[in-house]
Amino acid sequence: MHTVSLHSAGMSLDACIKCNICTSYCPVSQVTERFPGPKYAAPQSERFREIGQPRSPDASVDYCSGCRVCNEVCPTGVRIAEINARARAQMVAEQGLSLRNRLLGRNELLGKAGSLAPRLANFLLHNRLARRLAAALFGVAEQAPLPRWHTEKFTRWLARTDMHRLRSDRKVVYFHGCATQHYEPFVGMATVLVLEHLGYEVIVPRQNCCGLPLLSNGEFGAAERYHRRNVERLTTYIEVGYPILGSSTSCTLTLKEEAPELLDLEGDAGVRALKLATWDIFEWLRERQEQGDLPTDLHRLNDEGKPFTLPYHAPCQLRAHRIGKPALDILAQIPELELRESHARCCGIAGTYGYKVEKYQIAMDVGAELFGFVAAQYAGLEASSSFACTACDSETCRWQLEHGTGLPSRHPIEILAAAYGLYDLQARRPRGGN
Amino acid sequence: MLDLLVIGAGLTGLFAAYAAARAGLRVRVIAKGMGATHWHAGTIDLLGYLPGEQKPVADWVEAVPELPAAHPYRNLGVDAIRTAMVEFQRLVAGAGLPYESAAAGPWFAGVAGGSGEQDGRNSMLISPVGAPRPVYLAPAAQQPANLADTRPMVIVGLTGMPDFYPTLIAENLCRQGHRARGATVPLDKLTARRDNSPLQLARLFDEPAAQARLAEMVADVAAGERVGLPAVLGLHRHARTCAHLQEATGARAFFEIPTLPPSVPGLRLDTALRESLAGQGVRVETGMEACGFGTDGRRIEWVESETGSRPLRHSARNFLLATGGILGGGIHGDRCGRVREVVFDLPLTAPQARSQWLRPLFLDSRGHPVFQCGVAVDARCQPLDESGAPVYDNLWAAGAVLAHTDPIRERSREGIAIATGYAAAAAVARDVSPPPAADN
Repeated sequence: MHTVSLHSAGMSLDACIKCNICTSYCPVSQVTERFPGPKYAAPQSERFREIGQPRSPDASVDYCSGCRVCNEVCPTGVRIAEINARARAQMVAEQGLSLRNRLLGRNELLGKAGSLAPRLANFLLHNRLARRLAAALFGVAEQAPLPRWHTEKFTRWLARTDMHRLRSDRKVVYFHGCATQHYEPFVGMATVLVLEHLGYEVIVPRQNCCGLPLLSNGEFGAAERYHRRNVERLTTYIEVGYPILGSSTSCTLTLKEEAPELLDLEGDAGVRALKLATWDIFEWLRERQEQGDLPTDLHRLNDEGKPFTLPYHAPCQLRAHRIGKPALDILAQIPELELRESHARCCGIAGTYGYKVEKYQIAMDVGAELFGFVAAQYAGLEASSSFACTACDSETCRWQLEHGTGLPSRHPIEILAAAYGLYDLQARRPRGGN
Repeated sequence: MLDLLVIGAGLTGLFAAYAAARAGLRVRVIAKGMGATHWHAGTIDLLGYLPGEQKPVADWVEAVPELPAAHPYRNLGVDAIRTAMVEFQRLVAGAGLPYESAAAGPWFAGVAGGSGEQDGRNSMLISPVGAPRPVYLAPAAQQPANLADTRPMVIVGLTGMPDFYPTLIAENLCRQGHRARGATVPLDKLTARRDNSPLQLARLFDEPAAQARLAEMVADVAAGERVGLPAVLGLHRHARTCAHLQEATGARAFFEIPTLPPSVPGLRLDTALRESLAGQGVRVETGMEACGFGTDGRRIEWVESETGSRPLRHSARNFLLATGGILGGGIHGDRCGRVREVVFDLPLTAPQARSQWLRPLFLDSRGHPVFQCGVAVDARCQPLDESGAPVYDNLWAAGAVLAHTDPIRERSREGIAIATGYAAAAAVARDVSPPPAADN
């Protein structure tokens, strides 16, 4: 049972001094009354949650998006988002899970199924009739930005280009995540190209979903099976000292912290080793930069002599790592790049949250702060025919950003790969064939 | 390499970071969470009471020399405090949130009892329960709450807004000899929401329609009096809400009374500070709890903060401790009675037995020893060891973490934050780039 209140998050609730700073910053309770705010949903309601009681005392916790802004701003260190995630798991244990949430939690399965026949899958999913049906039957919001399957999976690209891949004594392990595998293989390509440019051989072992969608939807049992399998598959590399790098910041957060903590696996030696070996890609690159190992052959992104304006949003999932905003430190080295740092709290989508029909509008209302920021960066600039985009480290946030702003969005690693001249930022493919 | 790493993002840390950045230093701020500014009334209380005195301080310039010799204000001197206040006023005015001496605000000019002399004068403003509170600088919306203004007041509450009781406030004001009455306007005409925290209401009053409606309703209940409202009059478009109310209430003054947290005037101040820092290119990283440090002799080389995995190392030439006191989390007392400074484990002037933490009476006029403990510093704001020498050559401390002051009883919290934060930043700046030595 995962809802015992003697875990570290439960213990932390005694540190709550009811100051309401979390409520001040909660992006969800600002836009909807359905969620009364972190203080009420977590430390206050938690005192009324007991193992074995017939019903959870506060069902509104289901409206917590899990963005973790509350944890970030809490001055006394209460693990509010974790308390909420556990409370949701308790509700799922009591009341069962809808088919929709069961599906949304299994994006690995969905990704695999669609990748069997990506064009067919895209056709089936991306037409208005299908979206209406999905909304009516399953409660998947009609407007929400579902991704498209790519015609070539990331690992297939890797196999196809195997002869071009760098072999080196310096090796890193790449955890690509489901979105890179099925929908955005170009993020994986950009990552591999940058790592090879630094002189590292990239090992991509078999891996499965990090389990975060399951954790967010309260399916802790299934998430534990995923996590244990990942630990098993990555242990041999960790033992020889290879770092585990990920470009999906929510996956790396799950490997580091979410899974070990929520699943009460912190005492497990393998889980702990993975936690300590995992790096977000830019966190690791910043370490290289500080050691003076980062190549400096960075080129400007447009050749018109005009600065390239890049609104950058550090997603909640990245901020939850508590590593700062390493992409800003690295991208700042690119000539004529005008980085604009977003201070918006959240894009709204929060993984699978914004895909739910009852939460779609909440997600869009939360995102308005970010969409407004992006629009403001281009206000007053003359319309340019050259390529413009936003940057963000998390896939669902990028899809939400594109949905909310109408501009394409890129992973910062794609920006960096482009600045090294390895990657076409607009077409999203490696330069020079492949 | 950073010139200065500031630990803590309350008023002390943010203002010190701003001052250091203005002096040309490369600065970054890391903090465990959002700072205690969100709990402040949004006024700058500099020195409200001298230790053991019941009578409020009328003029802090005259009162500072009467403080105990070890007090941080005595350490700095009146001129340094004044300089810091002027710099603070410059910052907030630049951010569109001007602070003035409450004794000299435009609302008060010409009113009986008002005075042109404003150097160190405190004014009595109104607390959330209608008690007088001595304040030095106030934002425009709070200045007209000055109790020296003898015109009658109507305190207007919003039905359904928790923790703001206009009748209670009015009764307390009457008991002190002021003319006041309470009134309420219906909140349900403005919003269908039921959970209306001060912040939620402030966001509501950022909307033009709600501003206009509130102004109409307030005009209806006011009968020529000054109007006191809870401090919820807009967060980002505060000035516009005030303009609306000004128009609707005509020549009568209106003012804000601070509320329980989340404090909107505190949030406005926090926003002004953060925006000014962003304008200086200073990054503020939240969610970073300092958990360790490394030294080389008497120099601190780095501070580590906790992350989801391995600790993150922050190297800098200088470090400013602005983590706050017991409330802010810079000082921690455990169940065994041990009291420690959480980042560098600096020597504290603290009772080390739990039985000595508190006096038996909750409202003892002498205060409680545990809330008076802190880090002793020299005139340059460098923490001292038991022998009176700096503990580290490149460590500085400011704000509520300091010893020999009791900000709760003195009503000096914001004044200490601004004055010592500024002094520490200035000392670091002198250290990093000393003024060119004279040739002869």
